[in-house]
Amino acid sequence: MSRRWLIVIIVLGLSGCSDDAATPERPDVIHLRAWAHAGQAAERRVIQAQVARFNERTPDVDIKLTLIPERSYNAQVQAAAIAGDLPELLELDGPYLYNYAWQGHLQPLDGLLPGDLSNDLLPSIIAQGRYRGRIYGVGVFDSGLGLYASRRALSRAGARIPGGPADAWTAQEFTALLQALAAHDADGAVLDLKLNYPGEWFTYAFSPILQSAGADLIDRNGYQSADGVLNAPAAVKAMTTLQAWLRGGFVDANVDDGAFVTGRVALSWAGHWEYARYAGALGDDLLLLPLPDFGHGTRTGQGSWVWGMTATGKRAEAAARFLRFLLEPGEVLAMADANGAVPARQAAIANSERYGDGGPLRLFVEQLTEGYAVPRPQTPAYPVITAAFQQAFFDIRDGAEVRAALDRAVAAIDQDIADNKGYR
Amino acid sequence: MTRAAWLFAAPALLGLLLFVALPFVLAFVLAFTNLRLGSPLPLEFVGLEQFHRIFSDPAFLRALLNNAVFALVVVPVQTLLALGLALLLNRRLKGLALFRTLFFMPVVFPLSLVSVVWILIFAPGANGMMNAFLETVTLGAWQPRDFLHDPVLALPAIMLTSVWQGVGFQMVIILAGLQAIPGGLYEAAAIDGASRWRRFWHVTLPQLRNTLIFVVLVTTILAFRLFDQVQIMTQGGPRNATTTAMYEAVQAAFARQQVAKGAAITVVLFLIVLLVTVLQRRLVRQEREIA
Amino acid sequence: MKRWWVNGALYLGLMALALVFIAPILLMVAGSLKPDARVLIEAGSWRALLPDSVSLRNYGDVFSRVDFTRYLLNSLWITACVVVLGLVVNAMAGYAFARMQWRGRDLVFGLVLMILIIPLEAIAVPLFYQVTLWGWRDTYVVQIVPFIANAFSIYLFHTYFLGLPRELEEAARIDGAGVLRTFVSIIVPNARPAFASVAILTFLTQWGAFLWPLMVTSGEAVRPLPLGIAAFYTLPPLQWGDIFAFGVMMVAPVLLLFLVFQKWFVRGVAATGVKG
Repeated sequence: MSRRWLIVIIVLGLSGCSDDAATPERPDVIHLRAWAHAGQAAERRVIQAQVARFNERTPDVDIKLTLIPERSYNAQVQAAAIAGDLPELLELDGPYLYNYAWQGHLQPLDGLLPGDLSNDLLPSIIAQGRYRGRIYGVGVFDSGLGLYASRRALSRAGARIPGGPADAWTAQEFTALLQALAAHDADGAVLDLKLNYPGEWFTYAFSPILQSAGADLIDRNGYQSADGVLNAPAAVKAMTTLQAWLRGGFVDANVDDGAFVTGRVALSWAGHWEYARYAGALGDDLLLLPLPDFGHGTRTGQGSWVWGMTATGKRAEAAARFLRFLLEPGEVLAMADANGAVPARQAAIANSERYGDGGPLRLFVEQLTEGYAVPRPQTPAYPVITAAFQQAFFDIRDGAEVRAALDRAVAAIDQDIADNKGYR
Repeated sequence: MTRAAWLFAAPALLGLLLFVALPFVLAFVLAFTNLRLGSPLPLEFVGLEQFHRIFSDPAFLRALLNNAVFALVVVPVQTLLALGLALLLNRRLKGLALFRTLFFMPVVFPLSLVSVVWILIFAPGANGMMNAFLETVTLGAWQPRDFLHDPVLALPAIMLTSVWQGVGFQMVIILAGLQAIPGGLYEAAAIDGASRWRRFWHVTLPQLRNTLIFVVLVTTILAFRLFDQVQIMTQGGPRNATTTAMYEAVQAAFARQQVAKGAAITVVLFLIVLLVTVLQRRLVRQEREIA
Repeated sequence: MKRWWVNGALYLGLMALALVFIAPILLMVAGSLKPDARVLIEAGSWRALLPDSVSLRNYGDVFSRVDFTRYLLNSLWITACVVVLGLVVNAMAGYAFARMQWRGRDLVFGLVLMILIIPLEAIAVPLFYQVTLWGWRDTYVVQIVPFIANAFSIYLFHTYFLGLPRELEEAARIDGAGVLRTFVSIIVPNARPAFASVAILTFLTQWGAFLWPLMVTSGEAVRPLPLGIAAFYTLPPLQWGDIFAFGVMMVAPVLLLFLVFQKWFVRGVAATGVKG
C-alpha cells in the first residue's frame, strides 16, 4: 500500500517538472520574455496586438508576453527578482523602479534610445525613469490627476472657475467653496477623495499637497532624510487643512465608488482613468480643474507604468528594439487611446483627441510639461516612504494629531534609510 | 510496535520537518539579523535589535492587546455557538442537511471575497445594511455609525465577521464528534430515567470532551493568527484599533520589506501562543484529575 | 402532537438563523447577477439581496476575460493531490499518536502541536527561499508537496481516533490482523466523519490559497483560481459583478464536495456490533 503511494508521489514530481512546455528554440532567433500588467480589456488587447505585430516585423526577435494581474503585480515581480527569475523585459509600477535598479536587476537604457525620441518624450517621463543620472525605465504613457467638478454646482455656489494651473483655487478658497457647496447639499458631503481606493493612491494623490505647501515627502538632495521636510510646519499646516475637510463631514466615504457619477458630490479628486465614466455621466456639465494651491502653486501627481530591461549584450539590443517600437507615435497613441492615459510623446499628443489642443484633458498635458507635476521620490526607499505616508494619512483621517502622525512617518522612513546604509 | 509506529508517522513527520519546522527555525535565525527583502546589502547579525524595536513600537504592543481581547471574546462565543448549532442539527429530521450546508457556507467562501461584502454591510450612513438592520431592531434608537472607522466598534465588527466565518468550521468538527457518541450510551441513560439536560451533562459533554478541547485550542490558535479581515477591511485602523500581530508581521515583511523584523514578530507571537496553549492544556488536565 | 410544533419552532428558528448566516452570501450571489454599476449602489437596501433583474452577463465575462477553465483545472489538480495525499499521510500519523505505544510519542506529539501554532505567513519567506533553491518555482509540485503533512489534520485525526472504542482493535487482533490491516480495514471505515471533516477543511484551505501561489508562480500554466480573481482587480471602479460571479463559481466545487461528504456525517459511526 505504501509502495503505491510512493509511485504516486514520484509521478507527481515528474509531472510537476514537465508542465512548462518547452518550445524548441531556433538558434538564429533571439527569444525574449516580457511581462506586462493585465489592465483593462482594451489595454490588454493592445499590448498583445503590439507584441504580435513586432514579432512579425522583426523575424529575428521573438517576444513571449505574459500578463500578470495588476493588483498582485509588484509582489510577483519582487518574488521573481529574489529568485533571480526576472524576464528580459518587464513593466514596473513607476516609483518602484528605483528599488529594482538599486537591487541591480535593471540595465540602463541610455544609448539605446535615439536622441530624437528622447527629445519628443514628455519631461515627466524622463524624470520618472531616471535614477542616479541614468535612465532605467521609460513609460509609454503618463498619468493625470486633477479635480473633476460639476459646472452647475459650482455656479450655484458662486465659485469662480480656474482657467488653468496658474489660476488654481487656494486652499482657503477651496475650504470656503466646500462650505458653500455643503450648504446646498443633503448630507453635507460634497467632495470625493476616493477613500475607497487601495494604498498607493493616497501617496499619489495627496503627497502633491505637501509639495504645493513648500514641503515634500523627503529631502531630495541626497534622499537621506525626511526630517524637517515631511514634518515641516508647512506640511503640518497643509495636512491639518486636509484633516479639517475629512473630519468636517465634507468628504463622502464613496463605498460604492459612485459619489460623483450619481451626483452626491460636486467635486471629485481623481485621475485620468475616470474621465470616460465621468464624461458619460455628466456630459457637458463636467469640468476638469487643477488641485488647490497650498501656497507654492498647484502641484499634482504623475507617473505610471514604465518598461525596464534586465537583458544584457545582444539581448539588450533586441529588447531595446521592442521598446523603440512601443514608443513609435502610432503605437503610443494606440495604447493611450485604449487606457485613456496621457501619451508619452508630443507627436502622439498632437494627434490625440483628448489631449491635443483644445481637448478636454489638455490640463493634464499642461501639468506634465510646465512643471506642475512632481514625480514621486526617485529613491529605492520609495516603498517605505509610501507605506509610511499612507499610514500617516489614515491616522490623520481617523483624527490623530497631525504633527505626531507625520513625525512617526519620518521616523519610519529615516530608520529604513539608515538600515540600508543610505541606499548608496 | 515502535517500528510500525515510526513508519506510520514518518511521512507526515518528514513533511512537517522539511516544510514547517525547518523554515521556522530559519525564520527564528533571521529574527536576529537585518535581512530586508531583495536588498543587495550583506546580511548582518544584529542580536536583539529587532526585538528591541518591536517592543518599543506602540503599534505592535497594541496588536498584542487586540489579539488577547479578540481571543478572550471570540473563543467562548464561537465555541458555544458552534456547540449549540451542532446539537440542534444532530438529529434525524428531514431537511436538517440543508441547514447544515447553510451554516457551513460562510466557511466555503474565500475570506478575501467575503470581507469585501462585509465592507459593504458595514458601510456608514443610514443606508449601510448593518446600520439599517440595527435601526429596525432597536426601533429607531440606533444612530448610524461608520463601524470600520470607529475606534470602539471596529474590533467588534471584525469579531463578528470572524465568528460568522468560523462557526461553521467548528460546527462541522463538533458534529463529527457528536456522531461518534455511541447511541447505546443515550439509551442506557434514558432507561435510567435521566432527563434531557442530565443526558447532555453526563453523556454528551464528557464524550465530547476531546472534541471540545480540540475546538477551543484550535480557535485560540487561529484567534492569534487573525490577519485576512484586518488587511482587507480596516488595515489595522483606526489608529491601530484593529491591528494584530500577524498584520504587523506581514506589513513589516512585505510592505516595508523588513523581513527580519517580521520574523521577530512571528517568533514572539509563537512564544506567546505556545505559552497560552500550554496553560490551556495544563488547566484541562487538572480538571480531569479533580473530576 | 407536541412533536410537530416543537419541530416547527425548531425549523423557524433555524431558518431565521440561517438567513442571518447567508445574508452576506446572498448579497454576493445577487451582486453577481446584476450589472456592475448597480451592485454597490443598491448595497444598502433589501434589493442587495434580491435583484429585480437577473443577467448572466457577469458569468460570461468571467470566461471571456480570464482563462477560467485552466485555472479551475489547476486548482482542482493541486487541491485533489493535497487532500488525498494528506488524508493518507496525516491519518496514519494521527493513528500512530493516538493508538500506538512508542518511545518518544508524547514528546513528538507535543512538537506537532507546537507546529500547529505556526501560520503560513510566518514561514512564507524562508520557505520561499528554500523552494527557490530547489528550483521548484512555477510548478505544481511547489504548490502541493509543502502542504501534504498538516499538523491540524494530524491533531484532528488523533482526537477522533482517541474516541473510538478499543474493542475495535482488540477484535481485529484476536483475528490475527497486523497493525496495517487493522488500520485499513477496521479503523478507517469507522472514522468516516473524521476523514470527511479533514477532507473538507483541507480542500477549503488549499482551494483558497493565495499568498503562497502568488509568491511561487508567475506564469499562467500552473496558476490557480484565487490568483485568477486578482485579474479583476484592475483600475477602479472595480467590476464587482464580475468579481462576485468569479467568487460564486469558485466556491461551487467546494459546496458540491461538502454536499457529498455530508452523507458521511449523517451516517455516523456504524454500530460497532461489539458492545452488547
